[in-house]
Amino acid sequence: MSSFARTFARLLLPALLVSGTPLVFAQPAPVVGAGHQLVAPKPLVAPKAVYPPDAQAKGEEGSVTVLADLDDSGVVRGASIAVSSGIEVLDDAALEAARKWRFSPALDDGKPIESQLRIPFHFHHVELLPEPVPPPAAPMTPPPVAPSPAPIAPPPAPADLRPTTPYESSVRGSKEPPSRGASDYHIDVENLSLVPRASAADILKLAPGILLTNEGGDAHAEQVFLRGFDAREGQDIEFSVDGTPINESGNLHGNGYSDTHFIIPELVESLRVVEGPFDPRQGNYAVAGSADYHLGLRNKGLTAKFTVGSYGTYRMLLAWAPPHGSPGTFAAVELYQTAGFGQNRDGRRGSAMAQWEGKVGGSELRLSAQAYIASFHTAGVIRQDDYQGGRIGFYDTYDSRQGEDSQRYSASAEITSHTDHISFRNLLFGIARPLRIREDFTGYSLDVQTPLQTPHGQRGDLLDLNVMEGTVGLRGSARLHGKILKQEQELELGYFARGDFVSSTQQRVEAATGHPYQTDAALDSRLGDIGLYGDASLRFTPWLSLRGGARGDVFTYDVNDRCAVPITGDVSHPTASVNDASCLGIENRGAHREPNQRASTVSGAVMPRGSLLVGPWKSVSASVSAGKGVRSVDPQYITQDAKTPFASVAAYEGGLTYQHRFRDSIDLQVRSVAFYTHVNHDLIFSQTVGRNVLANGTTRIGSASSARFTGAFWDLAANLTYTKATFDDTGLLVPYVPDLVLRADGALFGDLPWWKARLRGHALRASLAAGLSYVGPRPLPYGARSNTIATLDASASVGWWFVDLSVSAQNLTDRKYRLGEYDYVSDFHSTPYPGLVPVRHFTAGAPRTVMFTIALNYGGKS
Amino acid sequence: MKRIALVLLLSACSGSTGSALVTFTALAGGPADISTGVTFVSGSGYDVTLARARLHLAAAYLNQTVPLSGAQESSCVQPADSVYVGEAFGPLDLDLLSPALQPFALPGEGTETLAQTGEVWLTGGAIDALDDPTVILDVAGSATRAGRTWPFSAAVTIGANRAVPVQNPALPGSRPICRERIVTPIPVELTPTNGGTLTLRIDPRGMFNALDFAALDAPSPSEATYRVPDEQGGEGGQLFDGLRSNAGVYDFSFVP
Repeated sequence: MSSFARTFARLLLPALLVSGTPLVFAQPAPVVGAGHQLVAPKPLVAPKAVYPPDAQAKGEEGSVTVLADLDDSGVVRGASIAVSSGIEVLDDAALEAARKWRFSPALDDGKPIESQLRIPFHFHHVELLPEPVPPPAAPMTPPPVAPSPAPIAPPPAPADLRPTTPYESSVRGSKEPPSRGASDYHIDVENLSLVPRASAADILKLAPGILLTNEGGDAHAEQVFLRGFDAREGQDIEFSVDGTPINESGNLHGNGYSDTHFIIPELVESLRVVEGPFDPRQGNYAVAGSADYHLGLRNKGLTAKFTVGSYGTYRMLLAWAPPHGSPGTFAAVELYQTAGFGQNRDGRRGSAMAQWEGKVGGSELRLSAQAYIASFHTAGVIRQDDYQGGRIGFYDTYDSRQGEDSQRYSASAEITSHTDHISFRNLLFGIARPLRIREDFTGYSLDVQTPLQTPHGQRGDLLDLNVMEGTVGLRGSARLHGKILKQEQELELGYFARGDFVSSTQQRVEAATGHPYQTDAALDSRLGDIGLYGDASLRFTPWLSLRGGARGDVFTYDVNDRCAVPITGDVSHPTASVNDASCLGIENRGAHREPNQRASTVSGAVMPRGSLLVGPWKSVSASVSAGKGVRSVDPQYITQDAKTPFASVAAYEGGLTYQHRFRDSIDLQVRSVAFYTHVNHDLIFSQTVGRNVLANGTTRIGSASSARFTGAFWDLAANLTYTKATFDDTGLLVPYVPDLVLRADGALFGDLPWWKARLRGHALRASLAAGLSYVGPRPLPYGARSNTIATLDASASVGWWFVDLSVSAQNLTDRKYRLGEYDYVSDFHSTPYPGLVPVRHFTAGAPRTVMFTIALNYGGKS
Repeated sequence: MKRIALVLLLSACSGSTGSALVTFTALAGGPADISTGVTFVSGSGYDVTLARARLHLAAAYLNQTVPLSGAQESSCVQPADSVYVGEAFGPLDLDLLSPALQPFALPGEGTETLAQTGEVWLTGGAIDALDDPTVILDVAGSATRAGRTWPFSAAVTIGANRAVPVQNPALPGSRPICRERIVTPIPVELTPTNGGTLTLRIDPRGMFNALDFAALDAPSPSEATYRVPDEQGGEGGQLFDGLRSNAGVYDFSFVP
């Protein structure tokens, strides 16, 4: 029996026998020191460095050590000076050469991984012919730290670029969880970061089937449509950033509300999107899928960016990453303000994020903290008949009181340690989240007269939502790995626990006075979620793997409804001018009771998930996956001891993946999946109550295809998704869900060496990038279809040495388009009598927005 | 390849969420068989000749629900999405003695759903404003019975003069003024369709069924006609009730 098998039997079998719970699954293990079979990168292309003529003429000599960051394909994604020669032009020449090197990727048990290595360059008045670089010995643990002195022959210039071997190599962070098949997208942003994006949420569009809309402005969570789901502001997608959850349990605007605006886009290194509930690590809200942001700063040194552009928009960014450290260590601050592209769209925000990643003893430690504040006004919806009748402009607003005030503060600590066959990972996090949202969807429609009220007119429907949420939690895993049947096997047991303490109130505000006149909801919620999962990655042959397991969660709810019994006061009271029902008082007629009501309950869910992966054969792999996921219930629906009505999803899919490296670093990946999902309680947005309400069961079928083609100077990606989502009971389409979504991104980049000699030895960098979105007509209520959305974003940049200049344009063609469209009843006093039939409303998409950016870097020049 | 793309595109746009949003032409006028000087026999046995009948019409709505008998509704409108299926906005000043139809100020809007109730809104301002001096109905003519003739005129307003006193002080909002300004439920059975025409014909003859001209106060020496009082109660109330009659006065029809 192998040591892995013995460990498995000793640690896990007793647990299984005792508890009967499913196995837990492995979380990726850090590489260095983990006992893995590691293979260092091997140089494949090692072009000469150019000995600067001026330096040569002056007799300047020196040695430079370049720290190169390699991605998992062996391409140099970043380079910085580890040891300077003290002569700038020599340092630059070494950097420039190092960026052109290509390597075979570092391998962890045969799987390509990111790595970092040092390349010494020596400049002497001798010329060395480039020599083949001997590969470093494997395994490379423990890694050698210092390069050995390079044997220097005295050849003349132009260059000596013989690197010393073995390289100093280190690998950052944790391994990704095993892939769940064709719908498990690990998206390296890389050069597609050149495509203009308004926010970190925009990066989601690199995954197929995603449409983002936003009726609430820049401080409001994006509404996400994913593969046939109207996931609203995250209610049906599990969002996280390096494992720390973003979904806000108990948020009255939407249970699971997820605002990602606190993430500074430059810090997003990669994104893992799993479309469907196929990974046992996925927890609450993973109904349509999950998205986990991975942060890092590849731009070493100190970077300052200043952006100015259309509509009085300014942005400042200051970011720092240590020249020699991991990309996971950084600090960044962003300030942003805009006057907005139309009425009532001004706003400001600030975000600060810092992270340290390193080794403490034999463990890896990651400490993160962030703070985010934002205040924006928003325009809300426009009635189509008013716009067409010339009564209001496309970018205008009915109610200038709309807006958001949003804050988020969080801190987390993650420690990862290893023994021979087990890797342990534990993450602790805490989040504080104040939020205020003011939205007006209906104008003057909902303040109906009741018999108990004195006669009154409509006072206004502005919703004023306030939420204060505190979250603490932890998650962790133990991952076993070893060989059985001569194949690498993995097993992970993990847990997840979080507590949410939420106070929320939603009131309606009188237009004339600004006074709240009605409390729609007032809840104090104490919510708990503890989950346990097991995930096995079993490889039977080199081409056949079974991955999966199960997850169980227990949810507790303790909800105090502070306005369970709204009552009407005494009409004879002198202040009872309208005599509204209120939850603030105590009934003064009949039996006495307080206005609140507490309810608590508990419920659990078990979610089996699995994937079968076959291949690759001639670069083609196939996979089938099945899984179950849940969304916990909104606290407002809690009843004492009543079984919690989970929304449960069952998903099935099959897919094909073609992945091939043609030569050097030219990679092509094409994926296509067909899927089927069923949800027993869907969520449909109600403008009347300003949030989602439960609807009947729905079913989706469809397909998603994507491709990415990368090379030395290009990075191209495209995806296309078709979905048909219908209600089970009527067979009618689910409104608002787009059935056709197309997205294409492309970037061309590289050095322009032609004027190098005239530019102090530094080549010009340049890039061109563009992003195209197309969303077909979406089904809307009452048999209607929306307009299409088609936008083109583009950017261009040039850079030299430490400075980069760029210009970007979103909606380059200045298409007047509607980001969101809705059919419902409203009355904004734009007609002489109240509108009582459903009509088309829309939120305006941004017109052409042009931004100019200057970026300066000191100490990095990667 | 093009075929595949076309099939994909068509299938992507197949299906519906049900019903449809529609826009239609909305017209209003007097009955088709009427003219100035029309004479008819009222429900009270008078031979009435109308020389003038003008109505200030604010709006018309179509509702897919039928109010429950005896329901204690106090709200004049129901804000839920699925209640109203058609609306047409004026204001229109109609000559009810002419069959000529006038278009509403804005095209009608609605959903392709069966309507079972019509509503006619009679107001010069906001539907819930406490007072409104606008003359909603302006009529003049003569009534004859048993050889006696009563030349008459009336100017009906719906404001504080029509407020219904609160019977139960604990329910001050049980009868808001907006309910006096809305004529409902008017039985209909029609489905608005896109591009169709909604026609509302208003017959003034049905408004005089209960009016007893003999009970009107004699005109002052300076007046030539009997004046129907613009107030609740008495004959003023009878004419007002006739104006708000949901049978025999207002007739909705829809031509697709």
